[in-house]
Amino acid sequence: MELIIFYFKKLFKILRNEVLVLPSRVVVGIFFIVLLGLPLITQDPYIIRIVILTSIFAIFAASWDLLSGFTGQMNFGHALFFGVGAYSSAILNIHFHLSPWGTVPLGAVVAVLAGLIVGIPCLRLKHTYLALTTLAFPLILLGVIIALPDISGGELGMTGLTRITNSLLGNYYLHVVTFLVLAIIMWKITDSNTGIIFHAIREDELAVKASGINTIFYKLLAFCLSGFFAGIAGGLYAHYMRIAGPSTLELSLSFTVVIYAIFGGAATIYGPIAAVFILFPLLEVFRIWPEYRMMLFAAVVLIILLYMPEGLIHWIRDKIEKECPRCKVRNVATRKTCRICTANLD
Amino acid sequence: MKKRTFGWNVMLIACLIMAISLPAWGKTIKIGVIGPMQSLEGRDHWNGATMAADEINAEGGVKVGKVKMKIELIKCDSNEDKNITDAANAMERLITNDRVDLIVGGFRTEAVFPMQDIAMDYKKIFIGCGAATDELCNRVGKDYKRYKYFFRGTPFKSSYLAKTSIMHLIACAGVIKKELDVPIKVALVAEKLSWTEGMVKLIQGYVPKLGYELVGTWQPSARATDVTAELSAIQKSGANVIFTVFSGMVGITFARQAGEFKIPALQVGINVESQKEGFWEATKGMGNYVFTMNTYVRGIEQNELTGPYMESYLKRYQQVPTYTADTYAAIKYALVPSIEAVGSLNADKIVAHLEAREYKVPSGVIKYEKNNEGVYTHDLTWGPGYLTSLGCQWQDGKLVGVWPNNWMPDPKNHPDLKITYKGMVPIKLPPWMKK
Amino acid sequence: MNILITGLITGSMLALLAIGFSLIFGVARIINIAHTAFYMVAAYCIFFLSIRLGLNPFLSMLIAVTLVTVTGLVVYKLVIDPIREHEGAVLIATIALAMFLQEVILQLFTGDYRSIDFMIGGFFTIGGYKIFYQQLLTFGVVLIILLALWFLLMKTRLGLAIRSMAEDREVANLMGMNESRLAMITLAISVALAGITGVVIGPLMVLNPHMWEDPLIIMMAVVVLGGLGSIKGSFVAAFILGFTEALVVFLVPTGAFLKGPVALIIMILVLLIRPEGLFGVAFEEER
Repeated sequence: MELIIFYFKKLFKILRNEVLVLPSRVVVGIFFIVLLGLPLITQDPYIIRIVILTSIFAIFAASWDLLSGFTGQMNFGHALFFGVGAYSSAILNIHFHLSPWGTVPLGAVVAVLAGLIVGIPCLRLKHTYLALTTLAFPLILLGVIIALPDISGGELGMTGLTRITNSLLGNYYLHVVTFLVLAIIMWKITDSNTGIIFHAIREDELAVKASGINTIFYKLLAFCLSGFFAGIAGGLYAHYMRIAGPSTLELSLSFTVVIYAIFGGAATIYGPIAAVFILFPLLEVFRIWPEYRMMLFAAVVLIILLYMPEGLIHWIRDKIEKECPRCKVRNVATRKTCRICTANLD
Repeated sequence: MKKRTFGWNVMLIACLIMAISLPAWGKTIKIGVIGPMQSLEGRDHWNGATMAADEINAEGGVKVGKVKMKIELIKCDSNEDKNITDAANAMERLITNDRVDLIVGGFRTEAVFPMQDIAMDYKKIFIGCGAATDELCNRVGKDYKRYKYFFRGTPFKSSYLAKTSIMHLIACAGVIKKELDVPIKVALVAEKLSWTEGMVKLIQGYVPKLGYELVGTWQPSARATDVTAELSAIQKSGANVIFTVFSGMVGITFARQAGEFKIPALQVGINVESQKEGFWEATKGMGNYVFTMNTYVRGIEQNELTGPYMESYLKRYQQVPTYTADTYAAIKYALVPSIEAVGSLNADKIVAHLEAREYKVPSGVIKYEKNNEGVYTHDLTWGPGYLTSLGCQWQDGKLVGVWPNNWMPDPKNHPDLKITYKGMVPIKLPPWMKK
Repeated sequence: MNILITGLITGSMLALLAIGFSLIFGVARIINIAHTAFYMVAAYCIFFLSIRLGLNPFLSMLIAVTLVTVTGLVVYKLVIDPIREHEGAVLIATIALAMFLQEVILQLFTGDYRSIDFMIGGFFTIGGYKIFYQQLLTFGVVLIILLALWFLLMKTRLGLAIRSMAEDREVANLMGMNESRLAMITLAISVALAGITGVVIGPLMVLNPHMWEDPLIIMMAVVVLGGLGSIKGSFVAAFILGFTEALVVFLVPTGAFLKGPVALIIMILVLLIRPEGLFGVAFEEER
């Protein structure tokens, strides 16, 4: 009993000292609670569906950020990983009758291979060259898919996939928890040494090389990790929609993920996630004016960018928090002195 | 004083509105119309459905048991030509948010599959009015318990499309033989998509059996904007019939460039774009003499329902309905009579009643098929007396009906059975085919 | 013969688009995804002016190009210029812009397929191969424009400025060139080129609000293949890919739909050997 109270007190202490001091952490906490508790408030299948799809796309957007935001390896063909994940899950499920519990991870593994296939030739390419070259890969695969309709179903896609679970809440928790876990993993990766190296590669690849770090390894690692997460997103999507079609490889999907990530704020992981959770439901809200939906969507993105070119989340974070000039710890914007080293903040 | 009257008025009006709307609110049948509302197909989904709903409501509504219920349509833009995720979300929203009782529509196959699945999850009757893939109805046969709420409304399945097109080929070849007296050489041009796959194989196998020569097969992309290369090759091959299988933009490109080049061959087959009235304008008149399969043509009457339907549709929307406007038939002739007969909105009862019916619609007679195991697939029966579709040809700016015109579906067993629909005209050959 | 002609025409169209794209990238480091969207707008302008309003086709050509250029400049001032510093933001701004233009066109003209009249009807035959006069005209116009562009870039002060800016922005800036103004001018030229392409190719195309997507990819492939910012590279690469497409169509008729992917594979193969494209300058490690 005392032990429980002890842990409870410790938890409370952490909560007070580490979480409640920063608005951004509070927001993340609330986000977790709301997401997990949503079915208590509403079980409307439509809302549940939107949240599930949002979670899937959030994984996808975050995986783009892991690669492009952090290492600066601009990937314009990220739909490749999504599509590979979706199609390989579908092939395993339909032709080999594997259960979704197996197909999704295997699909992700195939996506990792795709990451290697794309990553290795792209090692020599830089900046814009890389961006525009990666654009080509999903489109080439699309050509292959149209050329092999017996395996891939051609433009009609592969249908009749089994769902992981058929219950509404089961689906909800499966996808949301997967998303939260993967998001934490991705965030942890970027927070680790690896993440710092990724960051450094973007800022100054030459300096990283000069420090004796094998940048090739880390760049490929970024491609593989990103492919893995995007592949999971693709596999989940295919099983949830019960179809894997050419739309998972289309140009517009590649562009959409770039929009999500940069709109939210690149190189943060939580930025793209927040952006998906704002923009995807927003698109549903715009169903009120069905004719102008996409136009409004584009207009919103344009206008927000005008005011927050660094991305929405960066902008908000800078408004509500300040970084201590001495110890680089973040503080609430209302504070005059740093909460750790008491240096003057202004 | 004045203020007070105003207040009373407002209250009175509010009460009146409540009095009118409350009972009515409980007494409407909600039908969702889902389709790509930004394009012609979706607009026709909506047009057909509104026309049916207005006609039924004008007569007082649908008699369900003892009460008369009005039809309320819910328009739902699926955006399916651009975004499949969107289409599925739209369907979910339609069912769970708008709480529709019945659904009609759907167009792009890749989107109709997830939409079908969602409708089946909620056991809602969904009449597909656009996608032709066999698989949609094969599913019903394979897993009847789950998929029985899906019916095909239009068009008939794609394997029948090939069959009909071969009839058209025979009819055209007959005309060429008679007028020019030359051996028939067929060039097959099909867009490279998987729905054409089966047709291409079937036609490649069938053409030699008919005694024609197949000079080659070309497969441009469905979005091709230049087919001059293919056309030059076709002309060199000496083909006098071009068998086209197009659903996309390439249909316009091909017809226009073939017309500009005056390729001495008759185009026959399926060219979805040429079924639309905008085709003449889109090809700048170069699509003259293009022959295609179609569902409705001005002045052609498959049965006594076609005439009035076409007339009111033309009057209301100033254009000929394309096949997706068969949401009209789906509501008026399929759903409503069955609802009235069973006297409830219970989906299982409606399905049981509807699948056993054989009924007339403006494009023919509908009878639902069973598969080899005797399970209903809810697919449409093809053949004389049921649905045959039409063959039509662009002749100097007008789309006219040319088939079936003295068509003998079964010359061996029934030599006197000849079918001609009202309003048919003879097939014309392009003048540049005659040397 | 057929391959030659088809390749030349496809190549020249690609060259026009790619050079415009390359110019603005070279001078302002903007990856303008909306480049082909302007090409679409120009084609629709012609459709509206010459068919809906019944104007003379040549007059409507002029109006269309001017209109598109002005639109391009206004858009640049409104949405691109304020966020020039942020590469990522500019990038998605141009994507959003392309989507926006597509939706505007969709609302104005619906999603139905449209066509424009040929300026000169008819065709002629060489060696059993038929060619439209319109194709010939297109090719001619492209050549004239390319020549004019070459003259502008090589023989005028403005061209010198553009080239030096593309070569080395910092030094050019230090030499007292007004970067922002030059970017404006280049953007105008670039958009005008997109407009001209739309205008001359329009009659050969089927217009629809998604027509910007297909050429966009191939155009980017051309630019990358030729080397970013290199006008000569874009020119050569455009014809390489143009001929590739033509070859695919003629040699593998049942695989004609693969012409796009094959062109892209060629691009990747070349980049594997020369990562900076055919004529690209190997960038110093930018630090």
